[in-house]
Amino acid sequence: MNGAAAVTGLGAVSPFGWGAGPFADGLLAGAGAIGEFDRFDHAAYRTHVAGQVPPEPAGLAARQPCWRRLTLAERFAVAAAAEAVAGAGFGGGGTTGLAGRRAGVFFSSSTGGMLEGEEFYAALEPRRRPRLRGMVAQQVSAPGEAVARALGVTGPVETVSSACASGTLALGLALDALRGGEVDVAIAGGADVLCRITYAGFNSLRSVDERPCRPFRADRAGLSLGEGAAALVLERAEDALARGARPRALLAGAGAAADAHHMTAPHPEGDGAARAIAAALADAGVAAGEIGSLNAHGTGTPHNDLAEWRALARVFGAERARELPLAATKACVGHLLGSAGALEAAAAVVCLERGAVHPAPGGGAVDPETPAALVLGRPRPLAGAAPLLSLNLAFGGCNAALVLVPASA
Amino acid sequence: MNQVVVTGLGAVTAFGAGAEPLAGALARGATRLSPVEPSRRLPRPTGGATSAVRVGDLPLGEWLAPLVARRMSPPSRWAVAAAKMALADAGLSVPDRPGEPDPATAVALATSFGPMSYTQRLLDQILDEGPEAASPSLFTECVANAPAAQVAIQCRAAGRNHTICQREAGALTALARGAADVASGRAARALAGAAEEVTPLVFAILDRFRALARPHRRSSDRVGEAGPAPGATAAAGRGGSRGAAPPAPTEAARPFDRRRDGFTVADGAAVLVLEPAAAAAARGARVLARVRAWGGAFDPTAGRAGWGTGAAGLAVELQGVLGRAGLAPDDIDLVVSGASGAVAGDRLEAAVLRRLWAGAPLPPVLVPKAVTGEYAGGFLAAAVLAAAGRPFGAAPGFARSDDALAVAPHDGSPLPPPRRLLVTSLAAGGSAAWVILEAP
Amino acid sequence: MSDTPVSEDGLKRLIIDSLNLEGVSPEMIDSEQPLFGDGLGLDSVDALELVVAMEKRFGIKIRSDEIEPGAFASVAALSRFVAGRMAEAEAETEAATA
Repeated sequence: MNGAAAVTGLGAVSPFGWGAGPFADGLLAGAGAIGEFDRFDHAAYRTHVAGQVPPEPAGLAARQPCWRRLTLAERFAVAAAAEAVAGAGFGGGGTTGLAGRRAGVFFSSSTGGMLEGEEFYAALEPRRRPRLRGMVAQQVSAPGEAVARALGVTGPVETVSSACASGTLALGLALDALRGGEVDVAIAGGADVLCRITYAGFNSLRSVDERPCRPFRADRAGLSLGEGAAALVLERAEDALARGARPRALLAGAGAAADAHHMTAPHPEGDGAARAIAAALADAGVAAGEIGSLNAHGTGTPHNDLAEWRALARVFGAERARELPLAATKACVGHLLGSAGALEAAAAVVCLERGAVHPAPGGGAVDPETPAALVLGRPRPLAGAAPLLSLNLAFGGCNAALVLVPASA
Repeated sequence: MNQVVVTGLGAVTAFGAGAEPLAGALARGATRLSPVEPSRRLPRPTGGATSAVRVGDLPLGEWLAPLVARRMSPPSRWAVAAAKMALADAGLSVPDRPGEPDPATAVALATSFGPMSYTQRLLDQILDEGPEAASPSLFTECVANAPAAQVAIQCRAAGRNHTICQREAGALTALARGAADVASGRAARALAGAAEEVTPLVFAILDRFRALARPHRRSSDRVGEAGPAPGATAAAGRGGSRGAAPPAPTEAARPFDRRRDGFTVADGAAVLVLEPAAAAAARGARVLARVRAWGGAFDPTAGRAGWGTGAAGLAVELQGVLGRAGLAPDDIDLVVSGASGAVAGDRLEAAVLRRLWAGAPLPPVLVPKAVTGEYAGGFLAAAVLAAAGRPFGAAPGFARSDDALAVAPHDGSPLPPPRRLLVTSLAAGGSAAWVILEAP
Repeated sequence: MSDTPVSEDGLKRLIIDSLNLEGVSPEMIDSEQPLFGDGLGLDSVDALELVVAMEKRFGIKIRSDEIEPGAFASVAALSRFVAGRMAEAEAETEAATA
């Protein structure tokens, strides 16, 4: 068992809107934000729904320097990070925001500036002189770097791009850095945008549902893509206490493991996922039987949800796994890819704070082959202060898990 | 916490397969440049660079069967081959499929651009033929974590798996990630490294940004061997605008030189095997280096596309990395600098080093990127070779020190075997990563 | 309406080209041998890659629920499946222009 980190600030940009508030409200209302989108022209694509972030609120440009030059993913990231840092009581960001504290940024992304990169690429023609900014910002590390620049961070800045597990892995790196004394404050999170390459790519794999995704349901038919960003401010629990900051939740442990099985299909028995969960539990000093709720990866593809269920059944025992209230956040906002784990950690914090697991929209029967206690309809209250497990299974077989604990614990 | 050692090194570079061809090039102080085809989409040369340190068509059949490699992007192929070479170099058997994967072997790989040739081909399909022409194989392999996922599958490595994207600081960050996994006991072994491919388009864009080294004015500046690597086929110039003959290598990067004008870009991969020192000793493994400490930092004065002016802050951070390891600059007897020939990058690097040594003379400074180029892990491999006591020749092309920098690369004269090395990397965009290696 | 099966040799070449099966020639693929699993050793991504290639080559649309082991069991099965889809597409065109 190793030290826990306090989550003292939370920021989010999601298909529910700009801010952790709309995100929390949307989740707890069991709303679905996957539907019509216009991030790019999708007329010729096989499917036509996604979770798109609404237009930015007025006034953001005034609050952040160089806003207009930021890519969309950078804007999502900077807005989420600024909200988190302000919420943690460090002020509104900028170079004085974290003064005196050694801070690092641990970020995640699959798409980075790809939306603008695609537009740059499409505009390339021999006779034209393209604006190169779009190509430089294509770097997957750009959103995390933009956060570091905006906040005046001088400690380590790292971006993980391990597909769908990236955000969860980034939180794990943040936890390590805090425990090791490399940083005093960690801003952990991620950002992704809807773009053509991922939308066409997942469609070429026939993995995208024409409808908003329906994780763990018997009639599930694929994933929905989403976009947005999340940022969590983490500090060593004792430091948060010492400065009088109120933790919103605690990050007690993280674990990761690979399937080493196939480039797209998960291990059929969820082997890597089960080991990632075991590692997270061990890291948190929490036994499987103590877990009170779950935030699943739950993409809604037939294979993923089945592999995930099998991993859960292996770790918790089938009987207990059937009872653990499970949140399928992707049903609400879609799959953000790299940053999904970060946004889902934010969802987990929301659930722990409110003492209830958020529902998925859409109703319908749970698949008897994946008999998870998927919360539907209304939030399911949590009795007591049990730890929560958040899990992500990535494309390419990378798996990662987190154990979060209510602040009241 | 375990002490971490490097017991194996594998590399796929312009110099050939394995660490030895690279070691030879570093000892001779000779780079190897090959012409880069004009980009179909951005064909007008504007910066003037024409060559890169490229792997070319190196046969990899010894490490990759064709039916296994058929869907792999170039960085994945190179990363898998380098990982297998590294395991063999470490005296560890490369597991055969379909044996059980090892849950205690971790993977940490860095890439800056990811498998760009596959990304570009996929974009071409989507934009030119329509989204339903998108190839699922190209998509699967164009993601940044494809090389790390393939290494996990092909080397049966089922432990923690991280892909780090942190530009020029990525390779050392990945090394640090692997070392941390082994130090903490969460992995019994880690495969850590970097993989990169350079497409004509990426090359052309870097050149448009004037980031790349250009042909030197004086053709008498001999800086290496002409032409492609052994086993490589020369990429014939297409379109006639660059001619058919490979250029004399008069455009090698010149780190810290007054006339430096950019870096040379490299493709390929390098992978290290990291283990606990005790485990390596128990099995009688040959140790190349010890990984003593690591850390990273950020310079928020850097813009998105370049280097900043935050040398003072970076030096303080680097001092902190040393301090947390119980070390002082006095304890370093060799610097393996990530200086690449980038005008502003080298300036910042020199400023950080001078501040760290605070007026005292610097130890000898090696600049392997003059031979290895930037990206693709060659620098990482060179750092390990330096720690292992291998000789380094003079940096090719270095002729005039830049008085404003007051740092010059070592002149190639024989050095005593180093005991403790500071390995540095400063990335465009502001990231920094440092590793302290020790002799075995 | 065409009732000749799609050329099996052509299909084998399409498989070899679209799946990058270096060193494999059409003669080496038996028309009845399993394509997936133990036979030619293709996997789910190969199946989807083949779908894209066939849609392009034969001008047909293949629904996700049609991508199942039966239709893709062997070159012979695939040939029948594609011929059937092409016939359907032809019939739809005739009906639309009638």
